[in-house]
Amino acid sequence: MPSQSTARDLQGNQACALGAVAAGCRFYAGYPITPSSEIAETMSVEMPRAGGVFVQMEDEIASLGAVLGASMGGAKAMTATSGPGFSLKQEHIGYGAGAEIPCVIVNVMRGGPSTGLPTRPSQGDIMQSRWGTHGDHSVIVLAPASVPEIFSETIRAFALSERLRLPVIVLYDEVIGHLVETVEIPAPGTVEVADRKWATGAAESFQPYAVTDDLVPPMARPGDGYRTHTTGLTHLESGFPTQEPECVERITRRISGKLVHHRELIESYEAAGCEDAEIVVCAIGISARAARRAVNAARAQGIKAGLFRPITLWPFPESAFKSATASARTIIVAELNAGQLVLEIERLCGGARQVESIARVDGEPIEPAEIEAKIRELSSHG
Amino acid sequence: MDEISADSFNIRDYLRLELFPHFLCPGCGHGIALRALLWAIHELGIDKNDLAIVSGIGCSGRTGAYIDANTFHVTHGRPLAFATGLALARPDLEVVVITGDGDCLAIGGNHLIHACRRNLNLTCMMLNNEVYGMTGGQASPTTSATRYTTTTQSGSIEPVFDACALAAAAGAGFVGREVTIQTPALKNLLRDAIAHKGFSFVEVLSDCTEIFGRKNDLGESPEMIMTQKSTMRPASYGVVGGNIVDEPFRATNLKTGILTRTDRPEYGAAYRAHAAGIRAARKS
Amino acid sequence: MDMAQKVSAETAPGTTPGATPDTTNVLIVGVGGQGVIMVSRVMARIGQLQGFDVKQSEVHGMAKRGGVVFSHVRFGPTVWSPTIPRGKADILLALEWAEGLRWLNYLKKGSGTFIADTRHIVPPFACLDRTRGAKLGYLAEPPGVVLDQVADGYALDATALASALGNHRVSNTVLLGTLSVVIGFAPEIWQKAIAEMVPPRTVEVNLKAFEAGRRWAAAARENPESAREHTLRKPAVLPELEARDFELRITPEWCKGCDICVKMCPERCLSLNALNIVELTEPDRCTGCRICEWLCPDFAIDVIKTLPETASR
Repeated sequence: MPSQSTARDLQGNQACALGAVAAGCRFYAGYPITPSSEIAETMSVEMPRAGGVFVQMEDEIASLGAVLGASMGGAKAMTATSGPGFSLKQEHIGYGAGAEIPCVIVNVMRGGPSTGLPTRPSQGDIMQSRWGTHGDHSVIVLAPASVPEIFSETIRAFALSERLRLPVIVLYDEVIGHLVETVEIPAPGTVEVADRKWATGAAESFQPYAVTDDLVPPMARPGDGYRTHTTGLTHLESGFPTQEPECVERITRRISGKLVHHRELIESYEAAGCEDAEIVVCAIGISARAARRAVNAARAQGIKAGLFRPITLWPFPESAFKSATASARTIIVAELNAGQLVLEIERLCGGARQVESIARVDGEPIEPAEIEAKIRELSSHG
Repeated sequence: MDEISADSFNIRDYLRLELFPHFLCPGCGHGIALRALLWAIHELGIDKNDLAIVSGIGCSGRTGAYIDANTFHVTHGRPLAFATGLALARPDLEVVVITGDGDCLAIGGNHLIHACRRNLNLTCMMLNNEVYGMTGGQASPTTSATRYTTTTQSGSIEPVFDACALAAAAGAGFVGREVTIQTPALKNLLRDAIAHKGFSFVEVLSDCTEIFGRKNDLGESPEMIMTQKSTMRPASYGVVGGNIVDEPFRATNLKTGILTRTDRPEYGAAYRAHAAGIRAARKS
Repeated sequence: MDMAQKVSAETAPGTTPGATPDTTNVLIVGVGGQGVIMVSRVMARIGQLQGFDVKQSEVHGMAKRGGVVFSHVRFGPTVWSPTIPRGKADILLALEWAEGLRWLNYLKKGSGTFIADTRHIVPPFACLDRTRGAKLGYLAEPPGVVLDQVADGYALDATALASALGNHRVSNTVLLGTLSVVIGFAPEIWQKAIAEMVPPRTVEVNLKAFEAGRRWAAAARENPESAREHTLRKPAVLPELEARDFELRITPEWCKGCDICVKMCPERCLSLNALNIVELTEPDRCTGCRICEWLCPDFAIDVIKTLPETASR
């Protein structure tokens, strides 16, 4: 076994699977779907090697069901899918959020709606990833933009999921899913494996959903003598259902409060050249890579342009965005959909800044030149 | 055996007493099935700390919460999917699924046939009361022909599933059926099902007195439960002489007890042996 | 307030131009299967027959299962909103005692009328909350205490009146009879609406039930003290057992009166008492065969045997 890190040329989807293994994932359940299938294929090799379980389930819904079941049993567990499968998984994402079951869901985005464009890239699930399941719920969405970042963000997804007891979605487009880049794989055992807080102390007085300082209750592991009840019904601290308005409000607020309370832990972003920028381009994934090149080209022409790239897409890094765009007059949002991320940016700008959208829906990635032209156009207008 | 285990069996040892009385309607057969299940657990000497109950949505699904064990009340139709993950990740636990005819055969039908095919060590107790009780009495995949429900107001005309035939055909290692009035027999069946290494499917014919019985003039709770006994016949329901018959549930012939038992390899053990082989091959 | 006056024919639409819209709010609550919807449809129909604008909105779930069954009926010259705001119900009609208490804050303070069946159908969550000392404790408020809190109140054992007519399910119509006395309008209109709404073969018993409820309410108005006479559910008293090698233990608060044990007991030693709770009435005949224990869906019966030393495994 290598004692030092090794550099490997990996496809994005392979990097995701290896990141999961490094993060301690020992259960994978999935269903074949383009363009995410390489994750399942890699996990089918890696899980038995690592002493974990790979199971190909009968459908997308069952895949996340099995992942939640395994996680309830204590395993770090993951599934991966793409648009149509992600839609099917939404009810179980809600279960994970409500019952506070850690799990990681990878969504390699393809064109939609419906079967859409299975082999073409898209960023059309930006809103679905946050609001796909019914009811108020808390999820975290991470949006890596390179193969090394897919590796590291998958590890971070497990850490956040375990520490905060909620579903974490790793969201990237088909282009970087199938992109091959060099990834520095840490030596085995050198990646810090985050584990959830397990219940300790007297079983008789244990409250599975007690309000703790960090708003994350410790979880009872089956077999440890706690014999708790887990349900998708709105439940009390005891785990049993309630409809009492004040209890419902208390529980709902605590669960959504986890995202606010742990904002610093959750938020991650990249701000490049934003300090003096008049124009800031905001994008994720492949679009952010095009934006970086466009921003650099604009800078070379003397235009004060910057890039803001949320790595944690949801909850959106609001304060970081606001300070990164403090000097900006114009924000350009580049995305592979008819305009989703731009809605959040417009909300954050509140009309105080010009917000322009580059929204591409033809199944092709946005090219740097498109963004560069837009930057120049808006700059000359200023 | 019944006599001795009945004397040592105190159901309160297995219940979350603070939740009682339970939410089921007067005369609901699910309570009787719950007793039989806990009695079987007691007889097998399973430590309730190692018992995991996974249940779906509906009257059947809500019964799990009353058991003093590790209980998971999951989404509609998906308890077998959750249980598959739990049992594969934690082979040390005894995993029992409680589901209903709608939960298991309609919205969860796909998971049932694949759980049968996989033959993972799980026990699935399906409480069949021919109706969606929790949502107010709609027809289910087992609502017998001619029966009235809120969605078959002039009598059902849809054919029913023979759940046991379905499970056996899909490869379940153990298949059985019992009525609630034969509580000790139901306990024995569940005991054998749990002890069986592989996927065990048990269909319990349970009565919905308040909603289904009332709407179909089947009498009050005692009449309904007594009818179970008087119409017991040693044949198969649903299929007679190779032909599917769509007669009312109670009037057709019922075969109860263990219907299928095979020694197909249990999937969890097979997977672990396979994975160990892969690891050994890499080392050498 | 005299409701009969309040919504009399003189205030029918068009007769008092420019007058403040005078809406009567009736909130009907109960648990699943009791007939809340039937009662509210009768009420709404009567509103229509009287020429009023009527709005009815309902939620039906299974209150017995932790959900809620209620229906808002509003009628008057012009009614806009379909729902009754909290504290604005003129009449709260509860088909089940605890449901009545649950909704008490919807009743108008100082003028509202409370009508309730004193029978208890113990909802599991009321019971749950009772054990945790929460405010929804089931038996906390006896009828007298509740009636003292409302401007006008009628607490009656409608289920007993219905049972006396041979069908306990018409208790909702008994309460309609009481409601008819409170609201007014000619009895014939009520009878017409009831006959329209109930299954044809039950028209006769429903009309009898309506009459019984009317008579009781009329008598209660004559003599308010009689309205405050009611049957409280008392915990069933366990029969004393002689020293035997087994004991049949009943948990009355878990019994739902389904009658299975009574009918299935080979020795006929069990029966349901006046409160519909099982009792061991013939203890000498009991053989400890456990059939009642096995078939009780509510775990309300335990047959406890003294284990001889030699029998232990």
